[in-house]
Amino acid sequence: MTTITQSTTLPIAPTKRVEAVDPVYRQIRDLVYKVSGIYKAEEKLYLLADGCGRRMKQLGSRTPREYWDQLTAQPGRDGELRHLLNEITIGETSLFRSQPQVDALRKVILPEIVAEKTKQITKRLRIWSAGCSTGEESYTLAMNMLEESERLLKGWTVEVVATDLNDRSVETAKAGIYGDYALRSTTEYFKRKYFSTVDEKKLQVRPEVKKLVTFSRLNLQDDSKMLFMKGMDLIFCCNVLIYFDGVSKSKVINHFFTNLNFGGYFFLGTSESLMKLNEQFHLVHFPGTIAYWKPSLKSGKL
Amino acid sequence: MTASVAAMIRERVQNIETMPAIPAVFLPLLKLLGNASEDVKLDEVVRLVSYDGTIAGQCLRVAGSPLFGLAKSPESIKGAVLSLGLRRVETILLTCCLGQAFPAKTWVLDPAVFWRHSLGCAMVCRKFSEKLAAVDGEKAYMAGLLHDIGFMVNCLVFPKEFAVAMERACREEIPLDEAERATMGFTHCETGRALAEKWKLADDVIEVIANHHAIEQSQKAQPWVALVHLSDLLCRMRGLGYGYYERHMVDLMADPAWAILLKEHRDLGGVDLVRFTFELDEAVEDIHALVAAVFGSAGQTACPQ
Repeated sequence: MTTITQSTTLPIAPTKRVEAVDPVYRQIRDLVYKVSGIYKAEEKLYLLADGCGRRMKQLGSRTPREYWDQLTAQPGRDGELRHLLNEITIGETSLFRSQPQVDALRKVILPEIVAEKTKQITKRLRIWSAGCSTGEESYTLAMNMLEESERLLKGWTVEVVATDLNDRSVETAKAGIYGDYALRSTTEYFKRKYFSTVDEKKLQVRPEVKKLVTFSRLNLQDDSKMLFMKGMDLIFCCNVLIYFDGVSKSKVINHFFTNLNFGGYFFLGTSESLMKLNEQFHLVHFPGTIAYWKPSLKSGKL
Repeated sequence: MTASVAAMIRERVQNIETMPAIPAVFLPLLKLLGNASEDVKLDEVVRLVSYDGTIAGQCLRVAGSPLFGLAKSPESIKGAVLSLGLRRVETILLTCCLGQAFPAKTWVLDPAVFWRHSLGCAMVCRKFSEKLAAVDGEKAYMAGLLHDIGFMVNCLVFPKEFAVAMERACREEIPLDEAERATMGFTHCETGRALAEKWKLADDVIEVIANHHAIEQSQKAQPWVALVHLSDLLCRMRGLGYGYYERHMVDLMADPAWAILLKEHRDLGGVDLVRFTFELDEAVEDIHALVAAVFGSAGQTACPQ
């Protein structure tokens, strides 16, 4: 359920697009945003409509309006919304899903963190992939850090802490074996450098990448365990919080804020918003992506 | 910038023979934006455009392009307005006018990239104004559309110097105004001001053109300058920049321009900036298509190859 995501756009003419989408889907889009923070832009409404279509088939609802009633009427609306969120975030799990996030990390954030920590004796970078699912995001981060190991991060210790609630996901992640679909955005360069061939259709992440990542099971709502996740420079938590209710979400986000070092960054999925659940984080823009920043002490913006 | 540099820019802009005349319908069209009721505007637009066959023809060609998905190409400007709406036709007309004033062969910056940024900024200014009760959306649109005209002057009057600045900005992935300052000693803000004064644009618009990268220097019209400054930044962060990667982080709400705008318009505080950003993405494809329809080509990068 989690990954770095990337927006793709379809060249659909604006007027055609408006005619093609039932207005109820805009209502559903607004409801989904309000509850989960996931925003399906106009050109992606067809994805939302597809997801709704699959749910409608399951439920036997005949029209989008009828499905809207099922999404909003008790009992069962919470369960149905969860099913819908599953449908619309499905397939967002792949390696290198968001190039803008990778670019922001390597071109803007890393140089800044390296400059900030330059006087520290131990040069250590900690990244947390929270809700890592089957490991695609975690390995993407690790490979990109390895790319910098001879340049910006020369002499640094890098650690990617990857956690997920689901034991089976964690086991799959540890194996690090991926097929064509998960590798669809991975360039030949990265495939050759960081993967070995398992069979015709599958590649496995090489040991030197795995060495950077530690996978473990963690429930983000377990307050006592969250207290131990300190000293992070970066946290990625993509399409995970969308399933939490407002109170739990707010609690987890506060933990993330505390767990981040000053000057650290928090990334969500590319169409996901923190809404206004935490006033301490600064919303910041990088080319093609947004993130949340815990201001550094010297910035004077805390 | 010293007074002598300012005088030099003004003189070169005033005297340069290649400096194009703006099509006659452009300024009256700008004045019409936001000034009259929809009915009057429609008649006025039709009347104005009938004076300029080239602009009218180009507008109809764009309106009939697959971009707008009309079943039948409109045969008149009035027909185009009825099918596409006045706002869209105005956008097409203004873009055609400016495109005619600055033919593509004279450019250092890829014109498609430039127009995407200008139209993008215009659109974001209008979108912001929809969230702020007391802002005139059409004026905001115009300020956004014209804020970077200084780049056109650079291309015509200082092509060699500007090419050096452009090359440096691309190579070092720094903001273009920073590269201009470092290599030329002045920016598109100063050259834009000289052209805006020559064209006798409205004072507030001149202020925006001259100070959108130095809001603290703005004496009057500060909220307008702030609005355009923020929209400009947002565009550059969402795929409507100058065609190269800008290596920096933007904290819009901590920008002095945000505080200036908020002081004038308290409702800015209620804007959900993340959703606003996602909504802006919805329009990016439309802008790419519009620019491709007007200019024929759609360059992917502004950087020298």
